[in-house]
Amino acid sequence: MAYRVLIVDDSPAMRTFVRRVIQLSGFELSACFEASNGGEALDILRTEWVDAILTDINMPGMDGQEFLRRLSEDELLRTIPALVISTDATAHRIASMVSLGARGYITKPFLPEALRAELERTLGVPCE
Amino acid sequence: MNELVIGHALRDSVREVLEKMFFVQALEGSSAAELSASVPGAEIAVRLAFEGRPPGSLTLRVNTVAAREIAAGFLGQDEESVSDRQMADVVCELANMICGSLLSRVEGATAFQLEAPRIVPLPEDPGAGPAAISYATNLSRGALAVTVTIGMSPCPDLLPFAS
Repeated sequence: MAYRVLIVDDSPAMRTFVRRVIQLSGFELSACFEASNGGEALDILRTEWVDAILTDINMPGMDGQEFLRRLSEDELLRTIPALVISTDATAHRIASMVSLGARGYITKPFLPEALRAELERTLGVPCE
Repeated sequence: MNELVIGHALRDSVREVLEKMFFVQALEGSSAAELSASVPGAEIAVRLAFEGRPPGSLTLRVNTVAAREIAAGFLGQDEESVSDRQMADVVCELANMICGSLLSRVEGATAFQLEAPRIVPLPEDPGAGPAAISYATNLSRGALAVTVTIGMSPCPDLLPFAS
């Protein structure tokens, strides 16, 4: 199965890295959208459907927390599983993002296998 | 805050980030003081401030040859195809990850907030100042030095935090 994903991070390098890791992990992507903050991501989601969202927290403009909050307020968008990728490994932050609807959380630095495992768990399907 | 604890956390953070995300081995080499004072060749320097308990800032210096190699590996490109902008972006992300990893280790129970990392003019003496803790390491094609200043308010000329 090929997946459509949305990667939200203000670092173009990080977006490239995440996309590469997903592809190298064996996930087939039929589409990979990118946004540099939550506002841009919401614009994309107005016209494109995705199977999963991978989002940073600390971004200029709309940050990851506000982005998740907006997703949770939309009846349709809240059904898209969102996985947070962040440098913040504190219990406080993880709990905060989960309470906002994040279905997964992975902290940087991470091994590619860890991202794959978290994606599999978040999507609820094993990679072929 | 115990400087020894921070120093060890800084060392562990630099090594873990370099190896896990950038596929670069931190090599044993000269003492931290020697490396910190002299990163070979042209350099790039990044600084980011953070708010937490306590607040502070992190400065990372790396020579551009090593930075380009790191960027190429991170982006999955040949070194020749890495632009200066991409290299700067990757080094900023490297500093961001090291800082976040460090703060998660030493401020684990409290919330912290990172500013966006910025390329800055080379600091005259990155090891100077109160509560400045440094770690430096050889890389295969150069050296990298990281200095954390703890307990100082973020630099006033930096951009405000994102909302």
